[in-house]
Amino acid sequence: MLNRNNAPDLTIPDSLVIPEATISQLNNGAAYVTINSGTQEVIKIDLVFEAGSAYSSHPIIANTCNRLIEEGSGNYSSAEIAEMLDQYGAYFVTEAGNEFATISFYTTGKFIHQTLPVLKTILTEPTFASEEIQTYKMQGKQRLAINLNKVDFLARRNFLNTIYGDNHPLGIMSKMEDFDLLNKESLLEFYHNNYRNKLRAVFVGGKLSPEHETAIKNLIEELNFKHSNTNNFSENKLLNPKTTYINKKDSIQAAIRIGKKMFNRKHEDYYDFTILNTILGGYFGSRLMSNIREDKGFTYGIGSGLATDINDGYFFITTEVGANVVNDALKEIYFEVERLQNELVPEEELTLVKNYLFGSFQRSIDGVFALSDRHKTLHLNNLTTEHYLNYISRLKNITAEDLRKCAQKHFEKASFSEVVVGP
Amino acid sequence: MIHFEKFELSNGLTVIVHEDKSTPLVAMNILYKVGARDEDPEQTGFAHLFEHLMFGGSINIPSYDEPLQKAGGENNAFTNNDFTNYYLTIPAANLETGFWLESDRMLSLAFTEKSLEVQRNVVVEEFRQRYLNQPYGDAWLKLRPLAYKVHPYQWATIGKEVSHIENATLQDVKNFFKKWYAPNNAILTLAGNCSVETAKELCKKWFEPIPAVHLTERNLPKEPKQTEMRRLEVKADVPSDQLYLAFHCCSRYDKDFYATDLLSDVLSRGKSSRLYQQLVKDKKLFTDIGAYMLGDLDESLILIEGKVSDGVNPSDAEEAVFEVIEELKKGISDKELDKIKNKAYSTLLFSEMSIANKALNLAYYEMLGDADIANQQENIYNSIKSSDILNIANSILTKENCSVLTYLSNHHA
Repeated sequence: MLNRNNAPDLTIPDSLVIPEATISQLNNGAAYVTINSGTQEVIKIDLVFEAGSAYSSHPIIANTCNRLIEEGSGNYSSAEIAEMLDQYGAYFVTEAGNEFATISFYTTGKFIHQTLPVLKTILTEPTFASEEIQTYKMQGKQRLAINLNKVDFLARRNFLNTIYGDNHPLGIMSKMEDFDLLNKESLLEFYHNNYRNKLRAVFVGGKLSPEHETAIKNLIEELNFKHSNTNNFSENKLLNPKTTYINKKDSIQAAIRIGKKMFNRKHEDYYDFTILNTILGGYFGSRLMSNIREDKGFTYGIGSGLATDINDGYFFITTEVGANVVNDALKEIYFEVERLQNELVPEEELTLVKNYLFGSFQRSIDGVFALSDRHKTLHLNNLTTEHYLNYISRLKNITAEDLRKCAQKHFEKASFSEVVVGP
Repeated sequence: MIHFEKFELSNGLTVIVHEDKSTPLVAMNILYKVGARDEDPEQTGFAHLFEHLMFGGSINIPSYDEPLQKAGGENNAFTNNDFTNYYLTIPAANLETGFWLESDRMLSLAFTEKSLEVQRNVVVEEFRQRYLNQPYGDAWLKLRPLAYKVHPYQWATIGKEVSHIENATLQDVKNFFKKWYAPNNAILTLAGNCSVETAKELCKKWFEPIPAVHLTERNLPKEPKQTEMRRLEVKADVPSDQLYLAFHCCSRYDKDFYATDLLSDVLSRGKSSRLYQQLVKDKKLFTDIGAYMLGDLDESLILIEGKVSDGVNPSDAEEAVFEVIEELKKGISDKELDKIKNKAYSTLLFSEMSIANKALNLAYYEMLGDADIANQQENIYNSIKSSDILNIANSILTKENCSVLTYLSNHHA
């Protein structure tokens, strides 16, 4: 008779293998990092530039430049560029953060030779036509107006402003007027300074034939972009924690953000804090989810996270709760934070989290694009696969005492800022 | 191309296995053929509420999530109008934990009052967060009953109103389970580092003892043909106007599905598409516009939704959409046809990158009749001619077949 009460035996490996990337240098000195694997004939090329918002005093120019780079180049209009890409099922995904800006190009092995020239033209001769800037302004203003009606958007930007201040790219709150200041000259200048002159590294993942590899590498070398490897982003000072309430009338839910300035991946407490954060709010079975969603039913979701950049990082707790239970939810959030400072995590829970994180890491390197993304993170942070292997070994040997110490050190309530946006 | 093997257990559970030794993981997907269309009109949102309760413990196992996480696994689920899908990924060495958990909740749930009470609250908060506390969040809730007068697609998966969820009782939940959650109403797929032999052995052990149920034939009312344009105007505290146009079209099973899908692609797939180029870039009447086919299992909708530019009259914007449609009916060039087919090809490739997606794709196509349809998609799309697409455009993209929701901002009244 089948016994359905007892769980099947579990196997958790002691270690795992992280496939290495092939790293070479382009003729300009920038690293060229490739992962060649997978079953589908797809290719992703990520070009990373030192072109984030930290590189300009204008609050949205980095983002705008990044978004408009594919909207017309050389003799091609934006419509023609779009046509050439869609014709072969290729596309760009662009992203600008505060440190880096990335242009990701997705294409298929079948059409790589038809689509690579499009990548070249958008990178080397973007036009930033006034017509396109005009459209972008209209779109951007409307998008911002809609976002300003969302409690989670308001909570997020006010929270970042509270911990980073008005002068840090992460803390700046964009305004309608920012769009009016955009013009072709400043975009071209930003492009020249930060794209042509500041290629940080290139990452290629997919099922690559030797012929594809050569074609891609040649194309990138022919760009004649200069390489840059800056790491001294301006260090910002620690601001005093504060509690902010923002009124958004008629909203039936309130958004809550709580957290503080933290550290990057190289900090000695990084691994311990990552594991601690998982227990607090980093997975479905976390304490915040178990208490505030699964026991009290106050919210559809609650979580916490550590966001890291090259030099910096911040910790946050985020949720949207019924407007009538804001205070109850806050009370429970702090209760869970304090419990981690005062009590040891039970062995059963610790084992669960360790096993979960191990599986989670396996998932995070599964698939060629995922693996390429992990190597991107490592390379941009000047780290090697050792960083992840050390994490796995820390995961194996961390104790409940280590975690409580970490909570006592970093979860002091007085160090947290709190933002609530609600009715 | 996803190679696979298929077998059926004696209780009617269909099992599909795609073995991929290059990954240390396995994705396990269970699709139950029940969705929001199967709900009582007075108890909407039930299929989705039920999905939440599937995580509240099963007959022999008090918690679903804990043992899965302990095995290094992760899971999620979604509900739509036609089916409910549960999936997990887990290190291959611990795959049996997935079988243990999924088979127990197929067998029976714990059905506790506490779990129901909490999940009712959670789903009400989900309703508020996603539909009521977002600008335009309720547009879909208003558009469905405009387009559908008798078919259950007139309500969204989340439900018609919050009270339907608040009033759900434990008896309702039990009845729903008995009616729909059974091996002969489900498809199990495994993708990843799992051999067919292992799958057979584990299925025999964990799933085969679960009894089949008698399934009552689904007998849903057919939506009568729409004969004149329907309109609804909503004024709300939103920053700008939005326009939603819904046209009735065929079901996912219909041979016309592929031409209809490509028709929506001609309108709006990619930035080079007609709607975006003409109405956003050239005329600047919208700041964004898109069209897509829902692909429901019963007769479905093509939807066009656009954000009207500030200062533009929404009725002018709407007229311009119909101008694009009329121009399309005049013809599609071979180059344009090639373009949308190539785009369909690359979308297919990118969608088959993860084992979780492969598992879902196989289950989805098996629900349609045969998992192998997944591998025929490229050929089917390639066989479509531009005349097929034009015929569909002429028959469905008409004003009589259209429901228009104009979502107006009261800021500039």
